[in-house]
Amino acid sequence: MSRLLFAKQGRAKYISHLDLMHTFQRAFQRAGLDIAHTEGFNPHPFISLLLPLPLGFSSECEILDFRLLKPEELPQVPERLNAALPEGIRALECYEGGRKAKELAFVDYHIEMEWPGGQPLSAPLGELLGRDRLEVVKKSAKAKTGERIVEIISLVKSFNLTDAEGWTVLDTVLAAQNPGLNPQLITAALAREYPDETPSLVRYHRRAALGPEGEPFR
Amino acid sequence: MEQSLERILARVQKPARYTGGEYNAVVKEKQQVDTRFAMCFPDTYEIGMSNLGMRILYGLINELEGVWCERVFSPWGDMEAEMRREGVLLYGLESGDPIRDFDIIGISVGYEMAYSNVLNLLDLAGLPVRADERPGLNPIVVVGGTCAYNPEPLAPFVDIFSLGEGEDVTVEMLQLYRQARQEGWSKEAFLIAAAKIPGLYVPSLYQVDYREDGTIAAITPREGAPLLVTKRIVQDMDRAYFPTKTIVPSTEIVQDRAMLEVFRGCIRGCRFCQAGYAYRPARSRSRDLLVRQGIEACQNSGYQEMTLSSLSTSDYRPLESLCDGLLEYCQPRDISLSLPSLRIDNFSLGLMERVQKVRKSSLTFAPEAGTQRLRDAINKNITEEEILRSARMVFRGGWSNVKLYFMLGLPTETDEDVLGIADLARKVLQCWREESPNKKRGVRITVSTSFFVPKAHTAFQWEGQISQQEYMRRVALLRENMRERAIRYNWHDPQTSFLEAVFSRGDRRLADVLERAWRKGAKFDAWSEYFNLERWLEAFDFCGLDPAFYASRQREREEILPWSVTSVGIPADFFWRERERCRQGVITPDCRRQCTGCGANRLYPGGRCDE
Repeated sequence: MSRLLFAKQGRAKYISHLDLMHTFQRAFQRAGLDIAHTEGFNPHPFISLLLPLPLGFSSECEILDFRLLKPEELPQVPERLNAALPEGIRALECYEGGRKAKELAFVDYHIEMEWPGGQPLSAPLGELLGRDRLEVVKKSAKAKTGERIVEIISLVKSFNLTDAEGWTVLDTVLAAQNPGLNPQLITAALAREYPDETPSLVRYHRRAALGPEGEPFR
Repeated sequence: MEQSLERILARVQKPARYTGGEYNAVVKEKQQVDTRFAMCFPDTYEIGMSNLGMRILYGLINELEGVWCERVFSPWGDMEAEMRREGVLLYGLESGDPIRDFDIIGISVGYEMAYSNVLNLLDLAGLPVRADERPGLNPIVVVGGTCAYNPEPLAPFVDIFSLGEGEDVTVEMLQLYRQARQEGWSKEAFLIAAAKIPGLYVPSLYQVDYREDGTIAAITPREGAPLLVTKRIVQDMDRAYFPTKTIVPSTEIVQDRAMLEVFRGCIRGCRFCQAGYAYRPARSRSRDLLVRQGIEACQNSGYQEMTLSSLSTSDYRPLESLCDGLLEYCQPRDISLSLPSLRIDNFSLGLMERVQKVRKSSLTFAPEAGTQRLRDAINKNITEEEILRSARMVFRGGWSNVKLYFMLGLPTETDEDVLGIADLARKVLQCWREESPNKKRGVRITVSTSFFVPKAHTAFQWEGQISQQEYMRRVALLRENMRERAIRYNWHDPQTSFLEAVFSRGDRRLADVLERAWRKGAKFDAWSEYFNLERWLEAFDFCGLDPAFYASRQREREEILPWSVTSVGIPADFFWRERERCRQGVITPDCRRQCTGCGANRLYPGGRCDE
């Protein structure tokens, strides 16, 4: 198995997870890179995205696994893919192997929140994230009611708040999976607890994927 | 990206439709561009991006130096509401710049139900919808597509209609436009000159007078505009521009596959079919070129699926050889090939089994009418025997799901013809009983009827549409007489087809109705979640016009029809003769068996059709 690290930014951040899969399948074809296909009635190129990126998020640390039919092409993969990818998706690095997906423990996020009024958001956010417990309602396909209550403080490993003109920046490391925390839930909690402080625009950006000890995940 | 747009995109469904940036989208340096072209499609991104004609023109215009063509689609309701609230004007997907400042706004209109969206597009762009309220040389609003063949209901909103295939005429028009701008012409001077380019119809240069009974008394051109504007065609399909490096959307669209254009036109002469007449003469691409284009299209797009595009795939002479050539490339790469529009009279099951990794889900046949008498009258040259033979083959091959398409309300239709549909469906069911190798899986025959809409430039352009009540009576009659459990019956709602019948043969006065309905909220009329007939009836009432005058009235041979200023290359005499032959139940052979002298061959100087 080979692993590709890539960035998804600019206009490409509006490409959904499923559409991104198709985009990569086609990009490999266009690049003339043959990759292993799935078995079954309707075989298609097999690729796996380790941690789906929510719609509208940008990232410089996305991870995709696939298997080249000609392993000797590995060193050329980033360059050839970059010529075949749409604007905003950039292949960064490609290598053989890599750590097991389940060892991806944390994600480092850089989140920019636009002030709705003249006041910085660091005070309410700091109060919120400084609590011992914070429960939010999350949509869940599995739950009968379609909703589930999750406690989010235990999923926040660290955070740092800075204010700059008109914007508050939240740099935070959040649990990646089982369970992970989607930072949109932090915004939702802010909107619930401080309805007047709901940011008018939020930019979510993934900066790094991390292992259990906070080391870079590769 | 503008922050206002970023804010909006966070709140709307499927934002990738509104961002551009797809692979192969054309982005040019603004300093090297003097002419900006907005190619608009008045429906959603998913539908517009599936339109092959638009892809051809996009590629062709962008090959011109100094011209930048960008795409524009109708935003869905949620996006429109957000745009209006944030004051974001309609923009080109490539640059994000407002199209209000562009030079040419080209709109492709293929369906009357998109008319309200045409007005909405102009309004969202921040432009007045009426042409006479846009005095400057830019932007010039040009409409092309099938609806240009009866341009009149859109006439007051549009500066120029482009009739027929746009490859050559668009380039000629752009040349003239650049000259006009360089030399500082007025809009009027430009339009007068544009009207001299064959294929361009400038509605503001025509005066239409009406009689007291509402029919047209005279259509009078001024400033030297021609009495008859004839559509343009591409002469040589092998030399015509075809884009093999086209945009690959980053979100799923309707036709999400590589498209190959096998031929244009149709050799059949179905009397109800506007496409069959309007796209004449039949012109094919050569087999070797198509194989090459197919391979290139797959390589450049990365698509795992390819489809052949034409009005009737099985009329392509070297079809088998073409499929062989394409499969040689496709099969080792798991690329599937699909063959739509196969006619059942020379339907080749073997071919289908070879090319498609089909789940044997369902196959569609379109006999159009239930009895042989009526099929002959509409010149749908298929016999019952041929239909049943095909059905037997299909069931023997293991299919158990067949769809049958018919129209109700065709000229000369009687109750006997309606009941003939039930008979035919039962006979198809009987074929399954006799032929199916695996009866345990059951069978499903789906009968669908649509409500016949008479169209301009067909043999039925003089006919009245039956009333909605009469259509529903025939639906009920058929339903009561087709109660078998294995046969399912779907019928098309008559309201949309009624409105379509009004506008497809409407005159210039309908523009007021259109504007009124749009101002009252009409848009996306082809979508049931938006369509509201009441709103339209109110608009007719307000304007003092009767929709039945357009939809249901039988026209006289002598009447001046609103579209008589446009020609698809076939004179009205030919259509009238076909209409008479319908009444007599006489078949007209297809173009290969015998030339019927329709006149479309004269669109080629000295050429011959279907070579």
